[in-house]
Amino acid sequence: MRAYDMTATEISQRVHRKEMSATECVREVADRITALEPLVGAFLHLDVQGALNQARAIDALSDDERQQMPLAGVPVAVKDNMTTMDMPTTAASKILEGFMAPYNATVVNRLKAAGAIIVGKTNMDEFAMGSSTEHSAYQLTHNPWDLSRVPGGSSGGSAAAVAARMVPIALGSDTGGSIRQPASYCGVTGLKPSYGRVSRYGLIAYASSLDQIGPLARSVDDVALLYDIIAGYDPLDATSIRAETARVSEGPVDWKGLRVGVPKEYLSADLGGVVAQRLQDVITQLEAQGASVLEVSLPHTAYAIATYYLIAPAEASSNLSRFDGVRYGYRASGADLLEMYENTRAQGFGPEVKRRILLGTHALSAGYYDAYYLKAQKVRTLIRQDFEQAFALVDVILTPTTPDVAFRFGEKSSDPLQMYLSDVYTVTANLAGIPAISTPAGLADGLPVGIQWLGPVMGEDRLLQVARGFEELWPSSTWPGLGGEA
Amino acid sequence: MALSEIQVKHVARLARLRVESDEIAQITQDLDRVLEYVAQLSQLDTDTVEPTMHVMGLAMPLRADEVKPSLPVDAALKNAPDPRDHMFGVPRIMDGGDA
Amino acid sequence: MNSGYDVIIGLEVHVELKTQSKLFCSCSASFGAEPNTHTCPVCLGMPGVLPVLNEEAVAYAVKAALALRCTVHPFSKFDRKQYFYPDLPKAYQISQYDQPLAEYGAVPIIVDGHVVKEVTVRRIHMEEDAGKLNHLGIRLGDAKGSLVDLNRAGVPLIEIVSEPDMRSADEARLYLTELRNVLSYLDISDLRMEEGSMRCDANVSLRPHDYVGSLEDLPRVEIKNVNSIRNVQRGIEYEVARQAELLARGERIVKETRGFDDQNGRTYSQRSKEEANDYRYFPEPDLPPLVLTQEAIERVARSLPPAPTVLREELQQAGVTAKEAEIIVGDRALWEYWREATTHYEDKRQVTNWILSDLSRLLNAHGDTWLTPRVTPAALADLLRLIANGTLSGRMAKEVLDRMYESGATAAQTVEAMGVSQITDHGAIQAVVQQVVADNPHVVQDYLNGKEKALGFLVGQVMKQTKGQAKPDMVNAILKGVIADYAKT
Ligand SMILES: [Mg+2]
Ligand SMILES: [Zn+2]
Repeated sequence: MRAYDMTATEISQRVHRKEMSATECVREVADRITALEPLVGAFLHLDVQGALNQARAIDALSDDERQQMPLAGVPVAVKDNMTTMDMPTTAASKILEGFMAPYNATVVNRLKAAGAIIVGKTNMDEFAMGSSTEHSAYQLTHNPWDLSRVPGGSSGGSAAAVAARMVPIALGSDTGGSIRQPASYCGVTGLKPSYGRVSRYGLIAYASSLDQIGPLARSVDDVALLYDIIAGYDPLDATSIRAETARVSEGPVDWKGLRVGVPKEYLSADLGGVVAQRLQDVITQLEAQGASVLEVSLPHTAYAIATYYLIAPAEASSNLSRFDGVRYGYRASGADLLEMYENTRAQGFGPEVKRRILLGTHALSAGYYDAYYLKAQKVRTLIRQDFEQAFALVDVILTPTTPDVAFRFGEKSSDPLQMYLSDVYTVTANLAGIPAISTPAGLADGLPVGIQWLGPVMGEDRLLQVARGFEELWPSSTWPGLGGEA
Repeated sequence: MALSEIQVKHVARLARLRVESDEIAQITQDLDRVLEYVAQLSQLDTDTVEPTMHVMGLAMPLRADEVKPSLPVDAALKNAPDPRDHMFGVPRIMDGGDA
Repeated sequence: MNSGYDVIIGLEVHVELKTQSKLFCSCSASFGAEPNTHTCPVCLGMPGVLPVLNEEAVAYAVKAALALRCTVHPFSKFDRKQYFYPDLPKAYQISQYDQPLAEYGAVPIIVDGHVVKEVTVRRIHMEEDAGKLNHLGIRLGDAKGSLVDLNRAGVPLIEIVSEPDMRSADEARLYLTELRNVLSYLDISDLRMEEGSMRCDANVSLRPHDYVGSLEDLPRVEIKNVNSIRNVQRGIEYEVARQAELLARGERIVKETRGFDDQNGRTYSQRSKEEANDYRYFPEPDLPPLVLTQEAIERVARSLPPAPTVLREELQQAGVTAKEAEIIVGDRALWEYWREATTHYEDKRQVTNWILSDLSRLLNAHGDTWLTPRVTPAALADLLRLIANGTLSGRMAKEVLDRMYESGATAAQTVEAMGVSQITDHGAIQAVVQQVVADNPHVVQDYLNGKEKALGFLVGQVMKQTKGQAKPDMVNAILKGVIADYAKT
């Protein structure tokens, strides 16, 4: 078995047992990345030499020290909006070209302490604004299942790298679905934890009240393993939660005792035929296992996109103001300060980012704040309450992750509003702060279909247990063949 | 409430984004469509609803007042486009700014 | 008094808190370091970093709020105030907008030791300071560019906003004086206006007597960042005159921001607010609300020193006049000196006299402050004891004090070094007196003939021969006795 076919769990076990060295593992993985990257384009920065050096350092440790590292020798890819001291961090924006952060994101430090080896930084929509990774200032990332299609976004590079078996696990970030939607398009598993579970320190902010870092992997166990490493209180993030991270329970899920809610509002919408059919199949399977599948109501669902596309751009317009060409990043020339500011930001940001900055600035400006930003935060309360009421009745909520399977390049990017509307199933979890996971539910016409499980706030352990149960029920038997391999 | 091009220019100035005159019509149209869409929120009566400013309902954690080492000044200026005398150079300032 | 309009003044005062570290990061908040050596990813506004609030800054702000008799809110929150400027790294200042830390306090205005008015403090909120710009040129307008130093970026500030309650430049001065005085007892800030650790913006408008609208709608001029209390007063005086002249000419007053030129005492236009700032305030998503328990607020309340008004009363009860008490309490270091000196020496009246006259004179002459007096309170007490026990006359004591101030020696050492001490030995004085009487028979005769002045001459002769050390009242008594004896012979 090749290292790149292994899960992170398998790699670390072998490294612990000295059946494989971290160096061997990284070498094999690096060879595969080198071979496939020209097809997939998942990485903005690769650091094979650095990865090999890290691997040698892991191999040089004592057995005891290595045993303490749950990710010893495991290659991992990190979305390029998390800061790394030894690699550039650009958030796929021209305005941060060549930026070398003098600090690591907390998740990066946690990965390193766990023995993980960061092989590179993955492509994404610029500043995480987009659902296709087409809004990267640098390159396209191709869906490993069909290279003419998008991998989803904004964590498209991470999802594609995992699906292409370039790395077993990767980090993404999710503001309105940016982990779950590409996970769904690429046929991998992706978790958005509860707001505050994972430190945001070092995550380049898109919308601070919605952003969460989370894991992507080819198995629920690997997602859980990575989640365990990155979750936990961080004194550098005032919004991180002090609670203990509950260990994901090992035991099998008891389907007979499980109440699964299906929100009626999610089925009525313009749900694509393939996805609607697959959701029905899943429900039938769950019922066959003895789960009780109940209809629940989330009455404010129809307002979620509008709410999200006020809150997120408003916060983004503020978060992105610091990119002013003074202390770091791109600077355009200008006869005076004002001209320098305006040219720098006009040339440094891409069109979608500018659109959201303008929208958000408008939503916060004098005379509009109450009608837009404040109103949206009030509707957010109603959406949150919808979930509280639903979770009084059910343990998990089952929904599609996306209305359709991965689309072709250019298919949706021409109409911003149309693209926003496709986030309909994912944005609510961010608005409500609850955990959500997308798991593969087989293929349709050779393309992956994902389904989403939502849990109550802090309910990651139960959510992961259910997802693992579902994975056993509906195993993904194949991975995309790339570069002539089977 | 349709957005005027003048409003878009005002917002662009607030955001310090130069918008070229041949872009303004398209931008205005894009923003207008989104604003038209989000206007549906006004259908909801939220007079008695508290906004969710912080979803987890946490209270402020506080940090002890202890000094930790700052960055070496070279590291602080490493990414600067125009470092001069250990400071960040900027072009001349024509209006008083705020401060 | 102006006829036709009222002067309306409100002040916004920014006070830097002297915590060890900055408000939202662990960089040193100390003053005067090399450029950008007190910076880190957080205060440089680098991407992805997050603020974490300094506990001590909150404690200091609560102290200030309670000392200014504000209500401290158990729930307050932070907001982003957004504008682009190179000294503001994130392009927003983390401040408090609609739910500040504290509201509705008061600062007394004191004249001759009496409270004549109270100015309402509308609110106190916490915020972070900006960095510093060094302009490459003489004036901002013709500078070729500027260099940004972010050492001060993120230093904790409190902003104290008054109601527009002041009606003259003099009241504004008195408000600032008392505000600084109250804060000085809390040890939370250096309060140096020259260095910028205390800064004042003054809002000045004239309200015509026939004006019926709200104060908010009056065209207001904001004088920014004046560097001393005296200059705030001068700036307001100039501004009142300028606006009055405009009104007299029937011209409109423009809402604008003006600077103050202390060379010529004038204000000058910086930026008209025609294009008003739109700060786009919204709640800071990176910081949960600041929740203070009643218990925590009360704990700070119990730790507060007595207010200056209370101290003034205490002094008056100890026999100090109202005016003297105002002087003493008006300078915290002086008050501490007074308090310590009076623990060493009981006669508070005497201590007060010496502190306010001779010691003050010496401090002024040497350019010293009460923070660094060269004669300690204990040393002053020792000196006063030498007067009480007759070792020194008052006049001699003044000379001794002068010497003590120069040398730093104790009273006893100085007396010994100067070879002075009062002669109180009856026999010794009598011997000198007898000699003087014998040497000046004509003068004695004049005195006996009713020329009172002649006695003064004889006393002077005795003092001269004893180098001024003979105890004056003894000299007088003995001299009269000897002359009486002389007359009999
Ligand atoms: Mg302020
Ligand atoms: Zn700092």
